Amino acid sequence: MKNGDLKKKSFHPPVSKPNTFSNPFEEFRTFHFRKEEIPLDRIVQSAEVVMDQIRLGYEKLLEEEAKELVWMVQYNTIIKAYEVAEKYIKEIDYSAEDIEDFCFALENTQKIPYLIPGPAGIYISALCNYAKEEEIVLKLSELKTEINLIGFRLPKGKRLMVEGDTGDFTGIGLEGGEMVIEGSSKNWTGAGMRSGKILVKKNIGLHTGEWMMGGEIYVGGRVRGLGNIVEGKVFEREKLVYPGKARNPNIYY
Amino acid sequence: MEEERLQAIIEEMWPRLKRKHLFPEIPVPKVGKVVDLSVDEQGMDDSAERRVGLEMKEKQMTINPAFLSTLKGKMTEENLIEALLDHGITHYTFCPWDFQTHLMLYAEAKKVMGDKESAKQAANYFIDVIADTHCVKKRATEIPELHRNLKKGAVEEVIASLYQKIWGIDLGISPQGKEEKGRAEIVRRLARIPYLDRSRWTESIRKFTRSLKPLLLLAQQEQEARGGKGDSNPQGEHDMNHYSYEEIDDGLREYAQKTMGLSEFREVVEDFSTELKEMGYGIEGGMGRGRGTHIDADILFYMKLAENYSIPVKRLPLEKTGTLHPHSHSPWEVGTPFQDIDIWTSFGKIMPGITQTWKKKEGKGRGKIEGTPDCLIIIDSSGSMINPRKSLSYAVLGAACATNAYLRNNSKVAVYNFSDAPMGGREILDYTENREDIYRALCKYFGGGTALDLEDIMPLIKGKKELDLFIITDMKITNLETLIGFFGKIQNRITAVHIGENPYASRFEKAVEKRKNINIFTVKKKEDIPHIVLGSIREYFNPMNKNR
Repeated sequence: MKNGDLKKKSFHPPVSKPNTFSNPFEEFRTFHFRKEEIPLDRIVQSAEVVMDQIRLGYEKLLEEEAKELVWMVQYNTIIKAYEVAEKYIKEIDYSAEDIEDFCFALENTQKIPYLIPGPAGIYISALCNYAKEEEIVLKLSELKTEINLIGFRLPKGKRLMVEGDTGDFTGIGLEGGEMVIEGSSKNWTGAGMRSGKILVKKNIGLHTGEWMMGGEIYVGGRVRGLGNIVEGKVFEREKLVYPGKARNPNIYY
Repeated sequence: MEEERLQAIIEEMWPRLKRKHLFPEIPVPKVGKVVDLSVDEQGMDDSAERRVGLEMKEKQMTINPAFLSTLKGKMTEENLIEALLDHGITHYTFCPWDFQTHLMLYAEAKKVMGDKESAKQAANYFIDVIADTHCVKKRATEIPELHRNLKKGAVEEVIASLYQKIWGIDLGISPQGKEEKGRAEIVRRLARIPYLDRSRWTESIRKFTRSLKPLLLLAQQEQEARGGKGDSNPQGEHDMNHYSYEEIDDGLREYAQKTMGLSEFREVVEDFSTELKEMGYGIEGGMGRGRGTHIDADILFYMKLAENYSIPVKRLPLEKTGTLHPHSHSPWEVGTPFQDIDIWTSFGKIMPGITQTWKKKEGKGRGKIEGTPDCLIIIDSSGSMINPRKSLSYAVLGAACATNAYLRNNSKVAVYNFSDAPMGGREILDYTENREDIYRALCKYFGGGTALDLEDIMPLIKGKKELDLFIITDMKITNLETLIGFFGKIQNRITAVHIGENPYASRFEKAVEKRKNINIFTVKKKEDIPHIVLGSIREYFNPMNKNR
């Protein structure tokens, strides 16, 4: 009897009411996705535009000055590379933070094809020299690569502070600016500087102040070796080491 | 009474909040007392009870009524609760999202800070900035109002200034004092970080921590001078309590695979070892759990990494005392074979909790069924092999994968770890199902000469009718000929894995090339590991099995 009833029912399926079927996404019908622009979007976007311009300038510098991806540190090559860098940088409106970002982007090969220490250092120096800010702080302590030639031709009135170590040729040709290195710097620091001040909180390498024409170098740690200094002063742990008693020439390892 | 009233408010707003956040799988938040973990019992006073507004344990959020009372008159209860819940939900739906991301953010912050506590703090601030910014941009929220009214320390002031700048909303932070120049510089740096771009969180947290480092160090010094822990986060702490065991398990597995670096993994696990142990997470017990046991990060690394690779084991006919017959029912779980499902008691449905499977038992009589035999793993830990406790050893990873494969098939594993065995440089582990013991034996490193002692191996083989052998070595074995001779005599399935190519490996390959029960694989990189099919011999079954 029961089975018969069921069979009967199956022949006459219940007519579904048109309104009983509910859309599982009904809840979303009145949902308004809030896509609001916040100042962060604009800041990040403009920072990226500037970074692209800086990156492009660096790539052009490499194209012109390091075609074979080889770059020799010579007086002429440095001057020429700096002039090329100046040409591109003058057109960019950037801040000190952009310079720091560029330093870190250099290590990321996906963003920048090659890190050639010489041109990279010249380019960063040019960026520092043409920055709007008088005081520039570069937090580079986590950078795996030490940047060479940083502080090249730093002009009077500019103060460059580097948190971390720097490579060879730091502050060469300094033109009255002030450079503070929280860590150590390598060989040929302050070579050919004309005036200004370099303060290295830790140690400094060989040939310090080679052909230095003026200015002062202060070293908080140890000076491994002095270069042939023409004029200027070098202090080691607050003690004047040049001019002063004859000091051993560079001691090589 | 008060708690009931607040609970009613939450229950009333919860459907709307869930909808706003696109229906996350989160239970209804509760109202209850929230313990401030940063204050010990002695230092506990009334104010400690009021510092934290939200607690998140696994996925359960709890609102602290004492905290709500501190902001009475400044914000309506409804708005305050909504802001706290918006923040809490966004941790689950956007940042950190999972435990692996949390670990990754912490590890990156530690690279900059170099110190565990301050790295945790930096990661927590970063996670909060992302969560709140995401909420402000994508949802209608009262979070800005909450920040306007919260009590702030030095770091919180800077974070609030950052919010003002990146959200474009006035939070009542005005420049004041000499310190302002330094703070403005920090805020300027922080404001350039693309917080909402998940793909850049690794570099973003480094930049965030680098910028905030001087303030964090200062805050840490002040904290130490006060002789206590720092102020609690009113929006809730980001600790292990957020995650369930399974999420931690998954997170460690993914982190091991992503970093592929033993030292990085070890550092993170050791930094979180107290929290992991408090939660009862250890290695003991196979699944990685056990209260109060020391966590051997190296073993855990191989354990979690090996879980990412699955090596299949070919089954072979084993002699048993009887055939199987359905005996009793057990609940079906995802991953268990479909063929054992009892459709009659499962109401025709394949659904965990409803579906039932037959549990089979051996009956009387004799017969053959397919199964996986036990396995003897012979691993080389001589000087020519990589020390598994110093860097990633593919030999140990391969052996670990083999261990998992056999244990998963309810077989037992024995280990013979050798270097200069005749001189005592060996470790023997008898057949066991204890994963930790096996991994411990595999990770042992001798670093001496390379010689096997067959007298050590014979007792492990004797009396075992069915046994698979898995040898992993660079083949630079002094008595390689003895090993070749030994393999020539036995009929067991042998999987020989050698690391890299060398003349010894070629000699071994040539000597056993006609043996059908021996399969040789070369591991040059980790990707080769899944290609190893244990016991997959050319004709699947050796002649001995064919004759049965």
